[in-house]
Amino acid sequence: MRNIYQRTITVLTKVNRVSRQSIEKLDLLLLILETIDLNGIQSLYALSNRLNLNDVLPNKVTIWKLRNNNPLRKSYVNNNIKLDEFDALIKITVAMSRYLYPYIRNILNSKEVENNSVIWNDFNERFIELIKERFNVESMKVKKLLNQQENDEFIVKSLLTLSLCISNKGHNKLKNFLFDL
Amino acid sequence: MQNKLLFHQSSVSLEIIGLPDYSNNENKDQISIISQWKLTIIDKPLIEGKIEHLEPIMDAFSTYSHLLVKNELPIYESKLIDIKADNLHVHNIVLKSSKKNVKPLFLKIGNSLLSDIINCFDQLNESSKVRLKKTVATNNITKKVRFGLNNKVKFFNILMPPFIAVCSLFIFSYTFIYFYNPVEDKKYELTNPK
Repeated sequence: MRNIYQRTITVLTKVNRVSRQSIEKLDLLLLILETIDLNGIQSLYALSNRLNLNDVLPNKVTIWKLRNNNPLRKSYVNNNIKLDEFDALIKITVAMSRYLYPYIRNILNSKEVENNSVIWNDFNERFIELIKERFNVESMKVKKLLNQQENDEFIVKSLLTLSLCISNKGHNKLKNFLFDL
Repeated sequence: MQNKLLFHQSSVSLEIIGLPDYSNNENKDQISIISQWKLTIIDKPLIEGKIEHLEPIMDAFSTYSHLLVKNELPIYESKLIDIKADNLHVHNIVLKSSKKNVKPLFLKIGNSLLSDIINCFDQLNESSKVRLKKTVATNNITKKVRFGLNNKVKFFNILMPPFIAVCSLFIFSYTFIYFYNPVEDKKYELTNPK
């Protein structure tokens, strides 16, 4: 009964919705993690199991469907992602960044040490490949992400954001960032 | 005998030295009275100080990192510490000593070291073995989150049901205005007999 009441209120008020910008930011952060981990999708699903998020994210398809709420994607579908679903995605992002922290740190460091670093260039190339594969390349935002000279700032800030959210309260930090507070 | 706690993250380690507050019946391994702290960064000079220096420095790094992921080139300035971005990858830190005749310490760190330092401070903040007064900057952020998300939802959830109830009552009762009323019709017949 309480669920029906909450659902009714949600439908009527639409406050349980997450903004497009927040979904866009989170999906891009997940894409950065997938750029590092070649088996990223499997790792994300494994982490969701470990974090007991099976109720919200029962399978890989659900994760994929939720990520398709990103308007920059080729397969964009507006499914009105709910706060608990968005929260679950944040939790697996934080857990994954904690797990990949040494790699994130290494990529950041590679760009500081030398301008034409092999690690950085490999990372950038793979990131661009993933963007081409999954995103709508006609969009102006995506075109900027595809430009290897212009996307440096975006990648550095995304890696930094992930590296700063690895603490136990990293979930709140990332939420702050995603909701632009 | 003083307690020592070490928080470590890649190239950075933070050592906290202090005593438990026995007046509060605290455990022997707890630290509530911090007498000294040391921040060791590989290939950089040792940074150390007292509790009154630790909290402003933690605040500075927390605020700066918050600005960094949002702004292009952020600047943080205070009496004790200045942090300024040189470019996208390098950050200049100036640590000003509270003692006279001590020159400020200049440090250049990259993004990787910056995240190590902030993660060390986060570990300290989250540690159950060290009692710290919560920083102003962190409090502000958490408050914003609380009011920005959860309370917004609660606020709407509280106000919307009575609003919908009043509206539906009004719409429902308004439809009865157009129903046929036989009493009024009889009155009309009596006043205008043909």
